[in-house]
Amino acid sequence: MVYFRNIFPALLLTCVFIAGWEGYVALSDASPLVLPAPRDVLNGLWVERSAIGKHAVATLSVATLGFSLSVTFAFLVSILLHFSGWLRRGMMPLLVASQTVPIVALAPLMVLWFGFGLLPKVLLVILVTFFPMVVSLMAGYASMPRAFRDQLVSMGASKWAVYRRATLPSARAHFFAGLNISATYAIVATIFAEYAGARRGLGIYILSAKNNFRADLVLSAVLVSAVLTLAFLTLIRGIERATGNRFRRDTDA
Amino acid sequence: MLEVQALTIRAGRTTLVSDLSFDLADGRLTCLIGPSGCGKSSVVKWLAGVLAPELRAQGSAYIDGNLQTLPQRDIAYQPQQDTLFPWLTIVENACLGLEVRGHQKRAAREKVRSLFHDFGLNGHEDSFPDQLSGGMRQRAAFLRTIVQEARVLLLDEPFSALDAVTRLRMQDWLIDRLSDRPRSVLMVTHDLYEATQMADHVLVMAGNPGRICADIPITIPRADRNEATLANIRSSLKSMLLKDTP
Repeated sequence: MVYFRNIFPALLLTCVFIAGWEGYVALSDASPLVLPAPRDVLNGLWVERSAIGKHAVATLSVATLGFSLSVTFAFLVSILLHFSGWLRRGMMPLLVASQTVPIVALAPLMVLWFGFGLLPKVLLVILVTFFPMVVSLMAGYASMPRAFRDQLVSMGASKWAVYRRATLPSARAHFFAGLNISATYAIVATIFAEYAGARRGLGIYILSAKNNFRADLVLSAVLVSAVLTLAFLTLIRGIERATGNRFRRDTDA
Repeated sequence: MLEVQALTIRAGRTTLVSDLSFDLADGRLTCLIGPSGCGKSSVVKWLAGVLAPELRAQGSAYIDGNLQTLPQRDIAYQPQQDTLFPWLTIVENACLGLEVRGHQKRAAREKVRSLFHDFGLNGHEDSFPDQLSGGMRQRAAFLRTIVQEARVLLLDEPFSALDAVTRLRMQDWLIDRLSDRPRSVLMVTHDLYEATQMADHVLVMAGNPGRICADIPITIPRADRNEATLANIRSSLKSMLLKDTP
């Protein structure tokens, strides 16, 4: 019941949006080449399900690999930055600067430098999803109450023990917030990379459908990419809930 | 015996604590009282090895005549708040000091569980801190401190967050626990009633800069301590504290 109450507003608004879209197309006589009706999009998705499915699997594989590497990399970098003030002062401006480079410019360059294989796409996913996680982890580390650190240091804990026993657990909520943000970017970044150059994936499928004036298939692929992103987010929420019973508590130290 | 010699603590150019020396006899409870801002907590934090980074300290600590590097295994510290980690159960919190000091997890748990009854925490081994009352949380924090078997305990206003009734109960309870396991205790408090009720010795600090202005032994047995028997000591302590408070 609680679950239904939580998702009901989103379901209702989605239905209103689809009904409005369907109604507008019917009343305005818009060309299906420009604005296909939702039922045309669903029809296109059904007819092309095999092709879209294959491309979706390719996109999901790249996004999952890139995102997993990104999480690992973000953790390692956050640890380095946490333990080295010098490195933190040196790298944070560079990390911020890396986010000012537009993905539109970067994606073709990656393909130019690394070809049409897996590497440029994975690198692009890492580049886009890595930053929010590092920033969230660093904010989480900083949120640890000083009293926790003092308590452990007075017991003779090493810096690593303080990190493992107090700093890292204190950063959990921040980490998952960053993970959620990054997960929403992972599929989009992969599609962008595929758009710039790939043999398989939703990005290249969208490009080819657009070139064939099949707006219904473009939107079908967009729908699939949205579903993939939601699946990513649901998985992360599931992991957060399954592992987080002891962390849903006050941290009033 | 713990000795502190010539301790000076500075915050930039301001001297917070000046040339402070005192010693703690084995098995005795010493209370450190003084006006707010005189540096009581800073002294305790320095001994615990967790002085705030913006403060600079000079001075020496000796245990049995040997110069110590701080933090030190023979010294256990309990800050004002209970600082129980909210994501750990009570038994996991209580084991923390032992595990950090290198005890095996299993051995630490056995040792801690054997003390749960004495600390009034039976049945709460797997509870989380937010499921416990203030008094129970404080007892769990005491368990975490005392189980480390350090020779010196530093308690920084351990009862300040408790209501009046719980505070009175906890004072008696702590005295009982310490009589089970005697050790040197330095307890910071604002409350001269608490200090005179519990301490074997009261060190009085004056402020600007912080220094010890009196070292008062309380020789009245604890069982005989009451308003009447402590009246003179409390009166003289009160006048000392008021003299130094603007």
